[in-house]
Amino acid sequence: MAAARAEPGSGPAGGARFFCTAGRGLEPFLMREVRVRLAATQVEYVSGKVFFTTCSDLNMLKKLKSAERLFLLIKKLFPFTASSSKGKILNEVQQLVNNDPRSWLDAISTWKNLLKLGVREELSQRDAKPPKRKMRENETIIAKKLKTEEIQKIEENHRECQLEEQTEDTLEQRDSTTRRDKLEKEEIQKEVEKAAGAHSQEDLTFRVSCRCTGTIGKVFTSQEVGRIIGIALMKQFGWKADLRNPNLEIFVHLNDIYTVAGIPMFRAPLASRTYIKTAGLRSTIAWAMASLAEIKVGTFVLDPMCGLGTILLEAAKEWPDGYYVGADVSDSQLLGAWDNLKAAGLNDKIELLKVSAIELPLPSESIDIIISDIPFGKKFKLGKDIKTILQEMERSLRWQRGSFLPGARFCGFFKNMESDLKIIR
Amino acid sequence: MKLLTHNLLSSHVRGVGPRGFPLRLQATEVRVNPVEFNPDFVARMIPKVEWAALLEAADTLHLAEVPRAPTEGYEHDEDFLRKMHHVLLEVEVLEGTLQCPESGRLFPISRGIPNMLLNDEETET
Repeated sequence: MAAARAEPGSGPAGGARFFCTAGRGLEPFLMREVRVRLAATQVEYVSGKVFFTTCSDLNMLKKLKSAERLFLLIKKLFPFTASSSKGKILNEVQQLVNNDPRSWLDAISTWKNLLKLGVREELSQRDAKPPKRKMRENETIIAKKLKTEEIQKIEENHRECQLEEQTEDTLEQRDSTTRRDKLEKEEIQKEVEKAAGAHSQEDLTFRVSCRCTGTIGKVFTSQEVGRIIGIALMKQFGWKADLRNPNLEIFVHLNDIYTVAGIPMFRAPLASRTYIKTAGLRSTIAWAMASLAEIKVGTFVLDPMCGLGTILLEAAKEWPDGYYVGADVSDSQLLGAWDNLKAAGLNDKIELLKVSAIELPLPSESIDIIISDIPFGKKFKLGKDIKTILQEMERSLRWQRGSFLPGARFCGFFKNMESDLKIIR
Repeated sequence: MKLLTHNLLSSHVRGVGPRGFPLRLQATEVRVNPVEFNPDFVARMIPKVEWAALLEAADTLHLAEVPRAPTEGYEHDEDFLRKMHHVLLEVEVLEGTLQCPESGRLFPISRGIPNMLLNDEETET
């Protein structure tokens, strides 16, 4: 990742505060990633969530690779005292909304701005013009009136079009891009007509997703609390509840450490990549492993048990200047990998071999980096023992002066029987 | 399989050792794809290239304009780098065979993927 890619001016001025959920063990990766990719400040990790402030816009935020889901922060408070009477707690829950309604409205306006900027950039990129930030007076209906669902529909379409385009055998990128552009322009037009209706606060429809865990989870069900919050919001702001297809989704999590409310920024989790057709290893973990390897221009990276190629896909997407080779003994896995590469448009970047990890047909000391998710018996079984495999990897790696040097890195994830992850270097 | 990859592959048939390189290439289906040119990447590959093996493979495929050796100051020689880029990365063998020069063992290439699995008798161990 290049830190230079963070564009401080393109998002909300002064920055907005977000939080992400992350898989267990990935929090340090996420904290590092938001700092590097988004120039984030005030980064803190609390009980499964990483909170941070950034000026980046949605397009940059969408690029986060080690996060599960991204939310715009509405509120973060001390946990509710579960020892109080039920009535008292319910009162506190209502206060979450009524104490400071301004903060809710501010969050929603930030949310709307983020979406507006996202769409405007999409449109302007397509017109190959630089984003016009001064177009406030002439703001089109498109930017003003779009609801989240429409935007997500566009995103989904965009994704579908991308996959469609990449599965074509020809490399006529230009033709496919113009076709995709046309489809998207048409889609936006449709959404504009649809969205022409709602333009004021009162027309906003919403839904509350609530999670109650820890002590308070024993007193109340998530549904109970969700309902209280929903009613409070309706009374305070006049919004209408829509459980099926709301404009706005509110996410609330109550546990022993905090009470957090946020707005999810994307419908699909960040972990489900648009460029991966069939995932093997979880994409966030695959990316994290690759990020440890410090891949540079011309680095020879091998995954001797690549399966569906997830690690190589994540690596090649983020660090396209490496030389990537994946190997596997299974025909079906290699076929899946090949499909994945094609769908992602990365079959020029990643070579595949049908070879055994204990008999690598490569000269000794020819590989710079080996990254692998070694099958440990839960889903796939290892034919030979792990020692033989490691010996073969050791032989083929470019060791310098017989010791581990920055020149050669081995990074493997071992999932033991308790499903914990360990990194071994 | 690109020629850059072919340049690295060697046979691991028992007893063959370093005489298992280079693998003799025979191609029945070849495709040429345009690949984005990255001079930095190509420049870094040059010192790793086994030239005799590369030239032998390039000749088998009847490739034209293949540099016979790195030029002086090749890192800045765009013409040289572009030619190497083409040879190493843009030529793809989709169907064919690789042959161990010592044992004669044939390894098939299918859908661009070389199959180099050995059965138990053939392995080194």
